[in-house]
Amino acid sequence: MTALRGFLWLVVFLLCGEALVWALALPVSPGVVGLLLMTLWLALRGRVGPDIQAASQPLIAVLAMLIMPGVVGIFFIADEFAGQWLAVAAALLLGTLASVATTLWLMLRFMPPETADE
Amino acid sequence: MNSAWGGLREQLLATPMLAIGLTLAAFFAGGWLFARLGKPSWCPGILFSAMLLAAALVVLGIDYTDYRAGAGWLMLLLGPATVALGVPLYQQLPRIRAVWKPLLISLPPAAMLAALYAVGIAWLLGASPEVLASLAPKSVTAPIAIGITEQLGGVIPLMMGGLLITGVVTTACVGLLAPRLRLRDPRVLGFVLGVNGHVIGTVRAFELGPTAGAFASLGMSLTGIFSALFLPLAWRLVGL
Repeated sequence: MTALRGFLWLVVFLLCGEALVWALALPVSPGVVGLLLMTLWLALRGRVGPDIQAASQPLIAVLAMLIMPGVVGIFFIADEFAGQWLAVAAALLLGTLASVATTLWLMLRFMPPETADE
Repeated sequence: MNSAWGGLREQLLATPMLAIGLTLAAFFAGGWLFARLGKPSWCPGILFSAMLLAAALVVLGIDYTDYRAGAGWLMLLLGPATVALGVPLYQQLPRIRAVWKPLLISLPPAAMLAALYAVGIAWLLGASPEVLASLAPKSVTAPIAIGITEQLGGVIPLMMGGLLITGVVTTACVGLLAPRLRLRDPRVLGFVLGVNGHVIGTVRAFELGPTAGAFASLGMSLTGIFSALFLPLAWRLVGL
């Protein structure tokens, strides 16, 4: 029951996000607005209740599964972009390699070493 | 035999249950395989699951569009799951607040370059504008990326496939680079995984620990928000 009550909270925040996106014509997805609203609300409240904890943990654990239906589509559109696979593969492989390296460099450049309060 | 299966298949596809069952089965089977292989750091479990699922669809002769229509019910949970990321984010808020400046300095160039590298390479190799538009949001979390791709005139399945490969390659790169650079700071690893590898990177970050997970959630959300504002604008400027 706790998890279901928590799920209701998540849905309420998602709907709030949806409403804000619609009202302000935001270019972001309702989920991300809901995420920010959730963080803000928890910060104001000062703690995470057991309900929300019980609902959010399993959902985060299956996050990867939730995008599977979309991503397997790649295996079924091979013919459509027949002449461009080299460009696509190079862009994804080399592009990602380069961007991971850049982000790592930026973080190491600007991030102060961790303080010892761990 | 074949026609009997055809009839049964049609019956089973009448509700979304077959698609949902297949997705769950592939997810757990992939996870099992991943664990049996000793959770390799260069490859996320999702890749196994996705390949098993694709193989199952081919073997069972299920049309991808039929499958997609049913499994769409599962993807509905992506909304609440994204909201759920607010919990670890809140729990790590003090540590995030301590370094908000370096995070905000690093984010715009990191998110811009993630798109620019891919689009630049594809453009040099002669990809069509349609393909370029599908590759631009490759580091953006799925629900936002769908919106961006539609706006830029890209192809959704190609973009989603790009997300898969980007997530896998990001996980692999971080898994291979981090030990070589003697990098153990969970804040840096998490942020890099989230900014570049969206949900798939974030899942890996949570495997590293709650701090890395929270920084990945943050990186993923900020990249999503920034890209949603930046990419359509950049597209208009370049005149594609």
